[in-house]
Amino acid sequence: MEPSHSSDNLRIVIVGGGTAGWMCALAMARQLPAVSYGITLIESDDIGTVGVGEATLPHIKIFNDSLGINEAQFMRETRATMKLGIEFRDWSQPGQGYIHPFGAFGEPWGGVEFQHHWIRAQRRGASGSALEDYSYSVAAARANAFDFPNEDKKSIRSTYAYAYHFDAGLYSAFLRKLAVEAGVQRMEGQVCDCSRERLSGDITELTLKSGARIAGDLFVDCSGFRALLIGGVLGVSWQDWTHWLPCDRAYAVQCERTGALTPYTRSTAQLAGWIWRIPLQHRVGNGYVFSSRFLTDAEAQQSLLGALEGQALGAPRLLRFSPGRRLHAWSHNCVAIGLASGFLEPLESTSIFLIQAAVVDLISLIPAPHSRTSDPRLANEFNRLNDMQYDRVRDFLILHYMANRRFGEPLWDYVRTMPVPDSLHDKLELFRSRAALPNYQFGLFARDSWLAVLIGQGIEPSHYDRMADVFPLESLDEKLTAFRERVRTNVAAMSSHSEFIANYCGPVATAASEGAEA
Amino acid sequence: MTANPPIARVVVVGSAVPLWLCSTALARALGPIGVKITAVELKTAQMPSQVYATLPPLESFHSKLGVEEAALLRSTAGSFSLGQLFVDGTESRRPGFFHAWGSYGAAIDGVAFFPCWLKAKRNGLDASLESFCPAAVAANYGRMIRPTAEVAALGRTEYAYHVPANAYARELKALAPALGVTVYEESGAQVARSGTDGSIERLVLDSGRIVQGDLYVDATGSSAKLIGGTPASEWRSWQTHFIADRLLLARAPRFTSVPPFSEIRVSRAGWTALYPTQAMTGVAHAYSSGLHSDEEAARLASRVGGSALLDITVQPVSPGIRLKPWNANCVAIGSSACVLDPIHDISVHAVQLGIVHLLSLFPASAEYGAERTEYNRLMSSAFERLRDFQSAFYACSLFAGKFWQLARHHVPPAELLHKSETFRARGVIAPLEDETFLAASWQALFCGLGIVPDSWGPAADALSPTRIAEQCERMLEVIRTRVTAEPMHDEYLAALCGRAAA
Repeated sequence: MEPSHSSDNLRIVIVGGGTAGWMCALAMARQLPAVSYGITLIESDDIGTVGVGEATLPHIKIFNDSLGINEAQFMRETRATMKLGIEFRDWSQPGQGYIHPFGAFGEPWGGVEFQHHWIRAQRRGASGSALEDYSYSVAAARANAFDFPNEDKKSIRSTYAYAYHFDAGLYSAFLRKLAVEAGVQRMEGQVCDCSRERLSGDITELTLKSGARIAGDLFVDCSGFRALLIGGVLGVSWQDWTHWLPCDRAYAVQCERTGALTPYTRSTAQLAGWIWRIPLQHRVGNGYVFSSRFLTDAEAQQSLLGALEGQALGAPRLLRFSPGRRLHAWSHNCVAIGLASGFLEPLESTSIFLIQAAVVDLISLIPAPHSRTSDPRLANEFNRLNDMQYDRVRDFLILHYMANRRFGEPLWDYVRTMPVPDSLHDKLELFRSRAALPNYQFGLFARDSWLAVLIGQGIEPSHYDRMADVFPLESLDEKLTAFRERVRTNVAAMSSHSEFIANYCGPVATAASEGAEA
Repeated sequence: MTANPPIARVVVVGSAVPLWLCSTALARALGPIGVKITAVELKTAQMPSQVYATLPPLESFHSKLGVEEAALLRSTAGSFSLGQLFVDGTESRRPGFFHAWGSYGAAIDGVAFFPCWLKAKRNGLDASLESFCPAAVAANYGRMIRPTAEVAALGRTEYAYHVPANAYARELKALAPALGVTVYEESGAQVARSGTDGSIERLVLDSGRIVQGDLYVDATGSSAKLIGGTPASEWRSWQTHFIADRLLLARAPRFTSVPPFSEIRVSRAGWTALYPTQAMTGVAHAYSSGLHSDEEAARLASRVGGSALLDITVQPVSPGIRLKPWNANCVAIGSSACVLDPIHDISVHAVQLGIVHLLSLFPASAEYGAERTEYNRLMSSAFERLRDFQSAFYACSLFAGKFWQLARHHVPPAELLHKSETFRARGVIAPLEDETFLAASWQALFCGLGIVPDSWGPAADALSPTRIAEQCERMLEVIRTRVTAEPMHDEYLAALCGRAAA
């Protein structure tokens, strides 16, 4: 075994080649000077990737752009489609639905946030319009339309962002090609042993089944649920959140597309969880996220297959997980990223965002090349940021469950009555009291996201901000009408999502009902 | 809507700037929705001859309130401030530094300036952080700089004021009648409470008048005459973090040429701040009663201040925070909610924060438990971040002398420790919610106190040292050129206030 620190070059060893591993590897290769950092990634063709996170948040575009990725090429190679938001069906109660868009609702008038004006108009009976009538992105989503946002901030076409649906397996492969070109050393094999420094407990070397040994200074655990290093070797404990998010399994299956090429993800509430629908260019990803406390595997599988819009492509795969996060994602000289560091169900498509945030933070806090051990001061800051991201997302997910009127269904009765974290409880009370939205600077989600879900889940504020009353009621009604009209006319001018994809990425595999889309 | 009547009457009790800032701002914002504001001014002994050094956000607060800048500076004989100069007068003889109301340097090829500067310094650059800050450079030349389009192209430039406290209070009070504030001047008031939570039922004023409100604001300062009497009104001392327990306030003659910045002179015994205005120079001297008597402090302050002091008053300082600044139907604003250390003079800003958050959470109905909980969370967080910034000045200092030695042995707040350790390791400012001071302020403070980060982020390493050096040179030149085209502070003030330069 060679001594751990043989050169001025910091040796980074990434374990696992899924989405997390290759996002990390490529970003590091592009953003860390090659003379100072050597990057090796170990992956095994024998181990599958989880890859349920096929729907993303708009931040992924910033990530891709920062790596110089050509969008059209990336979309072609990952069979990607556009995503303007998520439709939640039957969540608040059967037969009701809403879209959580990546965009704004209305605009503030007279220094007062939009929702207060909207609620006031509703209470006065002056306007019977729904919240979503004031969202350009919801209207576009409902019309199955897509165009790039306008750069002109005054245009209503600038009031949204977009993300993608893509094949996570193809995304990893796409990143892998770029990463290897950028100098990442890829090693094939399975880690079977790990050496640690006797005194510090730091990891020094990994041994593969082939007998090959890989020494490193910093280890990034991207080994997914197995958490080979952070859990297996370092034994960092896990904070379990099952009492707040009881879903612990998912069946996932692909099927042929017969429905519309929607520019949004769909999540439909079920007896003991929910089913996702993610449209790609060539197929549709589906999955039933459920709680094993309230449903058997066989029942879940049957419900999922029964809900498919087209021929299943292969047999459903069962995934087991527990919601929660690692107590510390960075411990000793090992940083866990992705599923090894925590798991939150894909209800708001946050898995890839959480990877991205961790990668960006790790790069900005990466130990200096001349430093000989991992710096606990950097680790503390990384862990603080990582915990903040997870905790924020957790609260937002719980909101979807707890605010429901699906009475008589055991899972939904449980989540409606369970105690929730104080951080969420206070936000809800404030919204109920005055329609005020959570207002924090760091982490997901922004205020319009909270608004979409709070209203969508049927939470009724008892009052709105009294400052809204200063605005004359007649001109308010005019403004609301004019805004709805702007939304309508602008959306009518957009191209259809499938046309857009065909023009931008090349022809899309036709679905049986494509004609019905126009 | 429930049948509960909304809050219709707010009674503000207190004196001086906190009282008038609060009652006029509430009246201005809430008048249009029919809320009536009553201000009960408690006549106290003559207020000390104090000059406030404000923070930049006061400018936009004033415009919302209808306070016109030129009129204010004319009538109070106030002046502008571009930041704070710290000068080491102890044996440690550390270089001085400027904490400016503005940004330091501009990004180079998309990489933030600060790590580039750290790298350039390591490679031998002989230029201080503040030489890249237009506001600091202007202050150094005695010039006033405003964020015009040309200046904004160089980075964020803001400004604050030095304003004599009594004149400022008088100007604010003058606005009150026009804003519909009912004013009572009283020598004292008795508080009648009801219910188990200690809600205020009414105030019985010394004149015999009875005043009732739906909500009461305590702007009585650290005496906390209203909130102090509510049950469960717990106070947490911050004396474990701060060494100074006495503050001397006085005035000195005006500078012949009025500097557009505060100057904080560090001595073995503590620090002495000079806040220049057109009328006089405010002097504040913070020290520890364990080390110096009030008489010694007065001698020291006049020696450090460089002139004879007038109107000397001394007051005890015991920093701390009220755990629930909004308790029952009483909201504490200013020192009744939180006593801050005197460094950086943040007291007016603390009042402003309390008002801004009260307005954004002003009860939508008589059931306002959720608003109260949120207000208390938000204010605690905002006050704690101010506390962190202030305690850094003591905990991270390298000045010589017993006062500073003891200061370094005080316990730093955990959040500050995390921030300073992260900075020492990587030169980044750990982002926390509810900060008043932006990363640029923290960087200026930490660097000024002598912390040299062990490393910088990898982004700066993507740039060659030559590229960084070239861009640094260019920035220094552009800033110098811009700044020397700006007017001298004295001339600017004279023109603004409509009189000839002194």
